[in-house]
Amino acid sequence: MEDLKELKKVEKYVDQCMKCGFCTFFCPVYQEERVETSVARGKNYLAKLALRGEQQFTDELGKIIGKCLLCKRCSANCPAKAQIDRVVVGARAQMVKNKGLGFIKNLVFRKVMANRKAFGNYVRLARAFQWLLPKTEGKIRHLPDFLKALGQGRNIPEIAKVFLRDIVKEMNKPQDGKEPKMRVGFFMGCATDFVYPELGLKVIDFLTKRGIEVIVPKGQSCCGAAIYFSGDFETGRMLADENVKAFKDVDYIVTACGTCSSTLKDYQKYLPDNEEQQKRYEAFEKKVKDSTEFVIDVMKIPPEEFKLKKEFEGKVATWHDPCHLVRYQNIKDQPRAILKGLKGLKYVEMPNADLCCGMGGSFSVYHYDITKKIAGKKMDGIKATGADIVVTACPGCMINLIDNVLQNKMPQKVYHLLELVE
Amino acid sequence: MIKESLMGEFQKIVGKENVLTTPEALKAYSYDATTSWIHEPDVVVFPTTTKEISEIMKIANAEKIPVTPRGGGTNVSGGSVPIMGGIVLCTTKMNKILKIDKENLSATVEPGVVLQDLTMRLAKDGLFFPPDPQSFLGATMGGIIAENAGGPACVKYGVTKQYILGLEIVLPTGEIINLGGRTIKNVVGYDLIHIFISSEGTLGVITKAELKLNPIPPARKTIMVVYDDIAMAGEGVFRVLENGVIPGKIELLDNWVINRIEEMMPMGLPKEADAVLLFETDGIPEAVEKETEKIVEITKKYGARDVRVAKDTDEANKYWLARRAGFAAVFGKAPTVMAEDIAVPRGKIPAFIKRCRELSKKYDVEMCILGHAGDGNLHPSILTDIKNKDQYDRAVKAMDEIFESAVEFGGVLSGEHGIGLEKAKFFKRIMDPVVIDIMKKIKALLDPNNIMNPGKIWD
Repeated sequence: MEDLKELKKVEKYVDQCMKCGFCTFFCPVYQEERVETSVARGKNYLAKLALRGEQQFTDELGKIIGKCLLCKRCSANCPAKAQIDRVVVGARAQMVKNKGLGFIKNLVFRKVMANRKAFGNYVRLARAFQWLLPKTEGKIRHLPDFLKALGQGRNIPEIAKVFLRDIVKEMNKPQDGKEPKMRVGFFMGCATDFVYPELGLKVIDFLTKRGIEVIVPKGQSCCGAAIYFSGDFETGRMLADENVKAFKDVDYIVTACGTCSSTLKDYQKYLPDNEEQQKRYEAFEKKVKDSTEFVIDVMKIPPEEFKLKKEFEGKVATWHDPCHLVRYQNIKDQPRAILKGLKGLKYVEMPNADLCCGMGGSFSVYHYDITKKIAGKKMDGIKATGADIVVTACPGCMINLIDNVLQNKMPQKVYHLLELVE
Repeated sequence: MIKESLMGEFQKIVGKENVLTTPEALKAYSYDATTSWIHEPDVVVFPTTTKEISEIMKIANAEKIPVTPRGGGTNVSGGSVPIMGGIVLCTTKMNKILKIDKENLSATVEPGVVLQDLTMRLAKDGLFFPPDPQSFLGATMGGIIAENAGGPACVKYGVTKQYILGLEIVLPTGEIINLGGRTIKNVVGYDLIHIFISSEGTLGVITKAELKLNPIPPARKTIMVVYDDIAMAGEGVFRVLENGVIPGKIELLDNWVINRIEEMMPMGLPKEADAVLLFETDGIPEAVEKETEKIVEITKKYGARDVRVAKDTDEANKYWLARRAGFAAVFGKAPTVMAEDIAVPRGKIPAFIKRCRELSKKYDVEMCILGHAGDGNLHPSILTDIKNKDQYDRAVKAMDEIFESAVEFGGVLSGEHGIGLEKAKFFKRIMDPVVIDIMKKIKALLDPNNIMNPGKIWD
């Protein structure tokens, strides 16, 4: 009998599924493929058999559990409240344990991303050769997938000339010179670091203007999303511990990336192997806030007090719910409150705003054809609004939205929510 | 086992990507939404045209390979489980809505169209397909027709068979036939179309359907009625009907179900109530107002403890969400759930419910009741565990008596789920042998080699 330790951790979710098949309606991948192995019910049934020793950890099983966006739409709409996305990650972790990481072929994640310095150098190298790639208007902001996505016809946006890590100060005092109201640790995330340093500086400026001390610990690492969602819990734990250590002396940890905030919060759900780790990650989770959540729920800035940047005056905006905000963190009202409160901006809700954009991190690297089809539906929603700008708060989504807006020759520009405000 | 050379034939017909044979894929097509029926096929084939289905059927017939047609796999009687192996013929890739004819109030669809997709599309034209099996998020039209499915709306609108104008069918021998047409009235020869509706996939594959539609009623209201005694709730159903109001829906939840729903998602249902009835009136606004008043008046007169009219759509949606959650509430609470779907004449609902409660006591099993009280279709459900032999045996005996009671009260074994595998043993016991014989002769006439969904209904 093969080792089943990781799968056993999610057995309670496996047993909750009553095979009603309602997930077929909500699964973006099933909607394109219409095959049972694409959807939660099928994946969960195979996990159930694996737990009984009736399904081996075959390459085919690896492919099946790999083909999931982890968008959580199945879980969010499950009448039995079965969390099959957790089963998928558990099965991937078991796969990695039993068969090695090779089944996902993402060694680049383990070798390069886990080493912050090496990753930076790697991206610098990529930048040097960027002129070889097709030119685009947008910017790419999620590097883990960038390197693998080359050559699939994807629009590859520009990488920053200077990374945030090179220009940011570790200690940023409140601008009024007074005693800080609170100490916030800023978590950069790959995207803000390598592609969008000005967004990082922007957030720091926004916070320090309002009496908050912002620390940007040099010791911070990658959030680990692409790594632990692929099932590599061992490397995931290593990164988690580095981040816990780097942010130990702050009141809150804030990031402008929806995937990062969700990933940091969820260390306690996925990674603990013992009680001590459980406690440590739980304590860490309590301090993590997504930027959209932080400004509304913690700083309690009334939505009407946000000021729209001049360049956006008169524009029509729509909001795309990143999976990692709306379903992983139940953050949906805060960004809408900000957008609706901005004077001079017209807000229009898009149909199916919470539909996954199809990116799914490394999913889009291996299933770019499916990603494009799913994104096509998102584009239909955007077109229906007549909006000038698409606003979101997850760089993973942003890459994909930019790519698909361009491929569909649409006029919309894609922005992070905090880019809109003074 | 199917000859390897035939796999190549199938690939030639539907394309390589539409033939699945990996052990993992076969496992993923071994089940439907029932708890205990599992069997792997030898191959899963995804046709995209009627002609492809015809070619596959010809091969299957010549080689005597069992064929199980399957859509969304939401069946709750085991009908889409390939119990004899062979081919699973999966129609999920035939999911086009071919035509919506507003002038004729009809639509033409392929068998793999999911009901909710159809509902959303029709709503754009102000139309709807009234039969509403609660598996609408996954159920496909082919299965809905083959099972003659129904749901809450059937009290007023009737079941699937009342909404099928025409069908295109591939017979087990591969011939393509068309039955019915596009008109409401049609008395040209034997009414064969109704042999295929509720055939549970044993007579042929539905490849196209002409559906009768209704305009969406412009107004609706929800009324929640609370009872201290479930039998009184049963009486409330026919009292409303006999007093001249036919609501769009009348649904029943018992105390057990109410409490499980409240545990899952607290929404303010009365936890101490023995039962609640949910009514929905629909139609033109004036009629809806009047009918709602009448329901409040009649239910109060006949023993309701409390009557609440939902003040807005949000409150109404909340109640209907609770009703939909009922199914999950039951299934999530025990390792094995026997959820049946008997139907009794409406005047017999109180007597039948009393009998169920007695049986629950007599056999010492946990039982709850929910269902479409308005049309007498109830889901008495026993919570048990197949691994606990003593308890499970008692549950089986209790369910046997429930079926017998339903028949005793002038009712039937299945209102909407079909016989499939789940109820085959009761079917034989309760049906007239002469009628079974006629059915078997029809089956033999259309399917001489018994390849079409074998093992279902009477075996």
